[in-house]
Amino acid sequence: MSPPRLADRLLCFFLSDDRLEEVQGDLHEEFRWQVRRVGERRARWRYWWDVLGFLTSRFAHKRQPDTYQTYLMSPTMLRNYFRTAWRNLVKNRFYSLINITGLTAGLAVGMLILLWVQDELSFDQFHRQSAAINRLENWAGTGGSRQIWTSTVAPIAEMGKKELPEIKEATRLSYNYRFTLFKYKDKTFNEENTIFADPTLFTMFDFPLIQGNPTNPFPDNQSVVLTETTAKRYFGDENPIGKTLMGTDNTLFKVSGVIRDFPKNSSIRRDMILPMSLLFDQMYKGQTDGLNQHNDFHTFDYDTYVVLQPGASIATLSDKLRTIHLRNKPEDTDVAYLLQPLPQMHLYKADGSEGGIETVRMFSIIALLILVIACINYVNLSTARAMLRSKEVSMRKIVGAAKSQLFMQFLIETALLFSLAALLAFGLMYALLPAYNQLSGKELVLDFSDYRLWRLIGLTIAGTLAASSIYPALFLSSFEPLKALKGKVSARLSEALFRKVLVVAQFAVSVILIASTFIISNQLHYIQSKELGYDKTHVFGFFMRDNMSQHYEAVKASLLNQPGVADVTRASSNIVQIGAQTGDNEWDGKQKGETMFVRPVAIDKDFIPFFKMQLVEGANFAGTPSDSLHFILNETAIKRARIKDPIGKPFRLWKDKGTIVGVVKDFHFESMRKKIEPAVFYYRPSQMMAMYVKTTGQNAPQAVAKTERFYKQYNPDYTFDYAFLDDSFNRLYRSEQQTGLLFNVFAGIAILISCLGLFGLATYTAQVRTREIGVRKVLGASVTGIIELLAKDFIKLVIIAIVIATPIAWYAMSRWLQDFAYRIDVQWWVFVLAGLLALVIALLTVSFQSIKAALMNPVKSLRSE
Amino acid sequence: MKRTYLGEFEEIVLLTVAVMEGSAYGVAITHEIIEQTGRSVRLNQIHSALERLEDKGMVKSEMGEPTAERGGRRKRLFTVTAYGRRTLQEIQEVRVSFWSRLLNPLKLTTSL
Repeated sequence: MSPPRLADRLLCFFLSDDRLEEVQGDLHEEFRWQVRRVGERRARWRYWWDVLGFLTSRFAHKRQPDTYQTYLMSPTMLRNYFRTAWRNLVKNRFYSLINITGLTAGLAVGMLILLWVQDELSFDQFHRQSAAINRLENWAGTGGSRQIWTSTVAPIAEMGKKELPEIKEATRLSYNYRFTLFKYKDKTFNEENTIFADPTLFTMFDFPLIQGNPTNPFPDNQSVVLTETTAKRYFGDENPIGKTLMGTDNTLFKVSGVIRDFPKNSSIRRDMILPMSLLFDQMYKGQTDGLNQHNDFHTFDYDTYVVLQPGASIATLSDKLRTIHLRNKPEDTDVAYLLQPLPQMHLYKADGSEGGIETVRMFSIIALLILVIACINYVNLSTARAMLRSKEVSMRKIVGAAKSQLFMQFLIETALLFSLAALLAFGLMYALLPAYNQLSGKELVLDFSDYRLWRLIGLTIAGTLAASSIYPALFLSSFEPLKALKGKVSARLSEALFRKVLVVAQFAVSVILIASTFIISNQLHYIQSKELGYDKTHVFGFFMRDNMSQHYEAVKASLLNQPGVADVTRASSNIVQIGAQTGDNEWDGKQKGETMFVRPVAIDKDFIPFFKMQLVEGANFAGTPSDSLHFILNETAIKRARIKDPIGKPFRLWKDKGTIVGVVKDFHFESMRKKIEPAVFYYRPSQMMAMYVKTTGQNAPQAVAKTERFYKQYNPDYTFDYAFLDDSFNRLYRSEQQTGLLFNVFAGIAILISCLGLFGLATYTAQVRTREIGVRKVLGASVTGIIELLAKDFIKLVIIAIVIATPIAWYAMSRWLQDFAYRIDVQWWVFVLAGLLALVIALLTVSFQSIKAALMNPVKSLRSE
Repeated sequence: MKRTYLGEFEEIVLLTVAVMEGSAYGVAITHEIIEQTGRSVRLNQIHSALERLEDKGMVKSEMGEPTAERGGRRKRLFTVTAYGRRTLQEIQEVRVSFWSRLLNPLKLTTSL
């Protein structure tokens, strides 16, 4: 005897869930009743009839839960939210100040870092074809000498484009050191940042021509394209098109185009572009050895960029390029081709491994951490102080506020505080930008017309706002009025685990940053003070030009008579960073197919004593003509070439077959990131263009001035471009120093913000426990005992933070150090020191409030009860 | 404040709820109305009327205990709110005042 099942099913299907129970219950009860009254059969019919009555839309919908409505967003309520929020900020000035200071600092610094990150990531992304453009590179050398060259031979570009379907377009760039001096009327400039380029430069890349024809930018070999700034330098406001510049050796150039200045975030940035065909003309015209631009596979001097067909396989393409190369020059068995995508050039090394991207990643993480620390401050302070507001929340609930309204209220309170902080942060960013640019070596601007700036600001603020507003708002709006009014929340709040976790996180981050700062500065100190193998103190150097070098001996003689000049010597390159290298060498025992790259340096006979280098074996050059067939190798070269008893052994450099006369002790001629490479000294006065002057130190300025006078005497048109070796040496590590310095600043700010939060929490705890402290004092507690009581909790958290931070910092820093060939070991005391520092700072922060609380007169604190 | 008016059927239901003093729920109300007025009333009508009354704030409801004859389902028990009670009272007063102004009401009914 049960009601018709089908009807029941229909009812279940149709009715809304919340009605089903009562309606079905009623129907079943009625059914029983009807069975007793009229019998089962008719009862079933009636049941159907009753069920059908419920199949209307009214019963399909849920019951309206509330008979009244709350208006979450009504203007009146919104105004009210703002009013209460503002009152709260003003009433709790101290905490508002702490919060705003922390947030302002966090937001400003965080956004500045992100601005830098954004700039780094935007490199070379602005070309329409960016994704398809690749740079051709070569592997060269064997064994320890194997390395990547980012410039290739000239013919590979045309041959590749002609023979391989994968390559749509190619362009070559080559540095111009042939034409450096340009004249227009009375204006003369020494241009050192110019290139030769194929005309495809203007169609492949997005370097828009303001004037001129992009498909035919160089009507003939005597054409030149200038950037806007360069054009302005020569011609002022005149129209540059068609004007004639006179270059080195009285070569005339006609300006055929003007392009917009190269963007700051472009890897290719030059002042002037000359036609590639002119370079070929200069190189190969009148040559008798039959070499020309179509078959010269010897000169690796061209930055080659190619546009690939979509879907082209890089691996097969590089194989095909190698085949072409070997077909034309079979002996280059060590050469292999590889391609690097244009957008990766700035942040990755030539072999595709991580370069600058590591710093970008590191800084992004730091920005994030600083923002998180600032958010944690806010969350901690507002949840800690929630108890004080629990009564307010309860009263609001009792008079009818819905949870959503309270949530909204606290959200708006946070938003208001954030807006204030954000405004201040903008001001701070604006003020800090010049200093920041100097620190980071960038030219960042706050360009408010750039959508990317807005995106960055919007995301940062929205992200931090969401992170720091939702939890406190949920927490505060969830008080149960009765419990809160009876004061039962306080017990729950005082042991808020969440807050402790956040404090630990903050300090862990600070300790990591402090420890990293120590290690970075230690490493920087190490590489800058490491024994270089030569003495560069008080030495300055510069490159002579032909006229001067022809009179080197005379110049040297008269310079030595000057006060302040201690010694003079010359060589073929800058000793701080020897750039050139060659694999064109041979020695007894060289294996077939083996290539060892050496850095060749032509030095004068007094070069080695001048720099106080040490000869391990053999003798120095004597300065006689026979020295042209003598070589001095460094220890690494001897070791790499596996030469036993090197003195007197034959050695060939280029076409000169000679003998090894000496072995010089290894010295550093590159950044400490790299291992010492093989080097060879040879004697050829005509190539020694770099002149070094050792000053006595005190009279250095006079020595420089005197040298400049000689220089000007021979080269009146050129500027005297000299550098003290100490400075050039420091420039090697400029990016490391910038990173180190920025790291210092960021770590400082992180710990400052963390302490601010801790200070707020400590103040609050002391405030809440005023009466407890009063009672304790009355009962005989000592001041130190009370300070200990108050500080203990915080100190415990900081110690936990140190324990967590140590392995993380150790790991991160070991990875950073991997980049240096010469590096310090990560030492344990660094972490002890960093931990102690954090502890001391935290202790100072906390104890200020604790001492104040402990010294308070108990009468005062207890009287208010 | 503008008065909320009740329909005749709603008034009957409201009165029934008031009469049943806390034991008013769907089926019971239906039976009571059928018994007292003799009209045929369907369950769904009672449910809609109760819901309308609740929307107007005349009654409030809560779920009661489950019983066996309902298959273990709970009933929704209705009680009249203070506002509902006052509304009933006012309706009654209006009627009384009109009745009192009607001369010889019984005669009117018998003579016609």
